[in-house]
Amino acid sequence: MIRKLLTYFTFPIIFVWLLVVSYNSSKRKPDSVMELLTDPSWLYDWPKWLDIPLMKWINDGFKVFNEKYGIYFEVINDFLLGAILSLKKFLIVLPWPVVIALVVAIVFFSSGRKLGTTIFVGICTFFIGFLHPKFWDKAIETTSIMIIGILICIIIGIPLGIAMARNNKLRNAILPVLDLMQTIPSFCYLIPGIMLFGLGAVPAIIATVIYAVPPLVRLTDLGITLVDTEVIEAAEAFGASKRQKLLGVQLPLALPNIMQGINQCTMMALAMVVIASMIGTRGLGDEVLLGLQQLNVGKATEAGLAIVLLAIVLDRITQAYGKKIQDRNQPPK
Amino acid sequence: MKLINKLLAVTAISVALVPGVVSADCGKARLADFDWSSANIHTAIAGFILEHGYGCDVSVTKGSTTPIMAAHYDGQLDVVTELWYDNIKDTYDSHEAAGTVRNLGINTPDSQQAFYVDRATADKYNLTNVLDMNSPEIAALFSDPENPSMGRMTSCIGGWTCYTINLVKQKAYGLDKYYTNFDPGSGGALDAAIAGAFAKKQPIFTYYWAPTGLMGKVDLVRLAEPPFNAECWASMQVVVEDIKANGTDAWKPTCGVEYRDMSLDKSVLASWADSHPDETAFIEAYSIPTAQVNRLLAFYEDESDGDMELTAMEYLSNDDTWKAWVPADVAAKVSAAL
Repeated sequence: MIRKLLTYFTFPIIFVWLLVVSYNSSKRKPDSVMELLTDPSWLYDWPKWLDIPLMKWINDGFKVFNEKYGIYFEVINDFLLGAILSLKKFLIVLPWPVVIALVVAIVFFSSGRKLGTTIFVGICTFFIGFLHPKFWDKAIETTSIMIIGILICIIIGIPLGIAMARNNKLRNAILPVLDLMQTIPSFCYLIPGIMLFGLGAVPAIIATVIYAVPPLVRLTDLGITLVDTEVIEAAEAFGASKRQKLLGVQLPLALPNIMQGINQCTMMALAMVVIASMIGTRGLGDEVLLGLQQLNVGKATEAGLAIVLLAIVLDRITQAYGKKIQDRNQPPK
Repeated sequence: MKLINKLLAVTAISVALVPGVVSADCGKARLADFDWSSANIHTAIAGFILEHGYGCDVSVTKGSTTPIMAAHYDGQLDVVTELWYDNIKDTYDSHEAAGTVRNLGINTPDSQQAFYVDRATADKYNLTNVLDMNSPEIAALFSDPENPSMGRMTSCIGGWTCYTINLVKQKAYGLDKYYTNFDPGSGGALDAAIAGAFAKKQPIFTYYWAPTGLMGKVDLVRLAEPPFNAECWASMQVVVEDIKANGTDAWKPTCGVEYRDMSLDKSVLASWADSHPDETAFIEAYSIPTAQVNRLLAFYEDESDGDMELTAMEYLSNDDTWKAWVPADVAAKVSAAL
């Protein structure tokens, strides 16, 4: 009861406090408060003083934050950059036929030895370089950034999804944050990202994670919530602990959904490639941007197609794996 | 039903009111605007004069260079108040030759573009000339995280001509042995990289230009280059065009000189210019020096609270140069509207 009262009162108090603060900090307020009563013109047009100084708060806060903690971000920057560079170096050193062979082998085994999918993906991979020889190295650069980004998404997304499925309060708190992450224009966090991390691949990865992690979190949460209550009850009847229930029952049954989440996460990450190139990230997006900046539609389309091919390859790999798990989970007919 | 009638009545009144302001002689003036502040200022000032002085029905469309210029070539936008001619030379020239658009000359004289180093580093290591940068010790100060054996020179945006010019200059000065020609990807990213380096007090070696709002807020030292001469510039341009067409392998040794003042030009649609000779004469006369633009940019960012119209009015009320661009009756109408 008291807690309820407290929530009823805190919000109005915060609201009134915000009104007072915005009035006081405004440069365009009337000379005295009394004027508001005698001159009602402020009721017609939105008054200039009715304006939360959020912009100033964010700018000042960000400045202090950058000066004080900027050094820590450099450590993160060096670590992530090191990971990307070594992955890229490894993939670029390999002769291109070996990379295609590796992709084909991965698809062959993850799809449960489906020949059609394997051949299709192999051809798509070949066509990335076939479109323009320059695209091969660029695609590898994009792929290494993608892989690191998706790994971070998995590390953050799946545990968060699990936690949300087990705790309703947490879910209510996280859902609006996920909405925010999916809708806020990416340049709002790209530009501060550059100031913290410097130009290049790392702010791009951070942006990719912000944009691509929500579907993975949502689908992990959904997958676990959807597991049949009867199955859970059966597990409980056998005396399974919470941990056993999660690892032995819920997670395996939710796996097709989680794989779908990883697949969606990959697709969204690829959608960020062109935007990432606008902050100095090398890769296929770079070529699209270059083509567009020179009004060279052919060049931009060619590079755009290469991104689509890369998307198809990554999509088939993750889809095929999810499908295989789903088939395994089905009871034999 | 009653409500709808009322709404209709209100709409009818407001529709009737708007054309009252607009006189019939000018008609529509569709202004193009870009996503950087100096262009916004020129568009706001020119728009204010066209609207209040000539009675044009002004509409402004804002966007980034490529889509806006495509719309201009296509005849959808009449006036461009700040055109970065050097960066889009090829496409612009072909459309001008075809007679769709007309270049009306420079809007900002004595603008600059060059290589800069932050003041603290420049003073500490006594860097005043681009050739001072040519040493491994200096390059190590600007180490490129993605390519640690080299220094990073944050360059112009890839796809713009200045990126290739910087590449040719780097080779001409021998900088390419020590520095990467790093493409920041977009103007906003370049600004953020410079602002970020200053916030963290890190050394930065960058290509940049003025008039810009950021230039008034950070202390960048311009590195001297061999003085401009047309002959060398022309030979550089040949190599630049070759590289743009055939890739980096097409590079041939050439001399290097500083950038000439940028052509920040005004452009109008030829068909609009023919039907609007008076307005075109005004656009042609329009010109504001860099120092004044920098001052207006600072006013816009720090004092106007992001109000571009207020910035335009600030200029029009405190500077009389613009009165020479227009006939006296137009000037009187503009002054009356302030």
